Amino acid sequence: MEFVVFAVFAAISVTAALFMVLQRNAMYSALFLVLNFFCFAVFFILLGAYFLAVVQVAVYAGAIMVLMLFVIMLLNVAYPEPPDKVLGFLRPFGVVTAVVFAAVLAGVGFGSKMGENASILPRISDPTSGAGIILKGVGAAEAGHVQEVAATLFSRYLFPFEVTSVLLLAAILGASVLVRKRTEHA
Amino acid sequence: MMNFPTTVPTEAYLILSAVLFGIGAMGVMLRKSALTMFMSVELMLNAVNLSFVAFARHFGRLDGQIIVFFVMAVAAAEVAVGLAIIVDIFRSRRSVDIDDVNWLRG
Repeated sequence: MEFVVFAVFAAISVTAALFMVLQRNAMYSALFLVLNFFCFAVFFILLGAYFLAVVQVAVYAGAIMVLMLFVIMLLNVAYPEPPDKVLGFLRPFGVVTAVVFAAVLAGVGFGSKMGENASILPRISDPTSGAGIILKGVGAAEAGHVQEVAATLFSRYLFPFEVTSVLLLAAILGASVLVRKRTEHA
Repeated sequence: MMNFPTTVPTEAYLILSAVLFGIGAMGVMLRKSALTMFMSVELMLNAVNLSFVAFARHFGRLDGQIIVFFVMAVAAAEVAVGLAIIVDIFRSRRSVDIDDVNWLRG
């Protein structure tokens, strides 16, 4: 069952990603990307990361994509892009590079023969061994509970969390300064 | 007769992540609209997030999920600043085509 859901949504997400990249209308690209983000939310649920699935929908499919769509409509650039002016002859090489790149990355997965014993990924047979936050005895489905995530985030990762707030503040200020109307043309 | 595993193996997620990352990289290399390139970068970020979460489940640790949380925060900041830059470029050039922005001077 889980495998079927994964296969269906993997197919949807790859198709949506291809349409997003190949679509010449920026508006449709953005909508396909939203579909893709929903697929990612499904994968996060399958992987037991419930909190991240909600954040994915709220932050990515919600906030970030609304901002993106807003800018597309603001700039009114939803028309098809014109043909290449420079370096157009290099376009096929872009496809080749991307395919080879993805093949090399995927080769890591295929190289492990998709098996339990033949996997190149080390299996942690004893969850109590090792240092750090290891969830003792809980299955994969338990790993993403909000309580656990919050406990980790606000203890071990408290400092990065605070630094993130500074980053967001800097981003707000930077974005405001960049789009501010110039009163005097420099 | 194909024997389907009951749970999806981590490797399947890694392959899917690699494919989506490749598609995103293809978008960055092929497209000339700064907005579409930007969306492709978002796709690449998400593909990496998927790897992080898959590894988090694989090793039974939460650290991968926490890192995805931070990646999302950084992506949000990046989108805000990046779109502001694109809007600014559009104001001065009336275009978001990267071929029109091949000079550093404004």
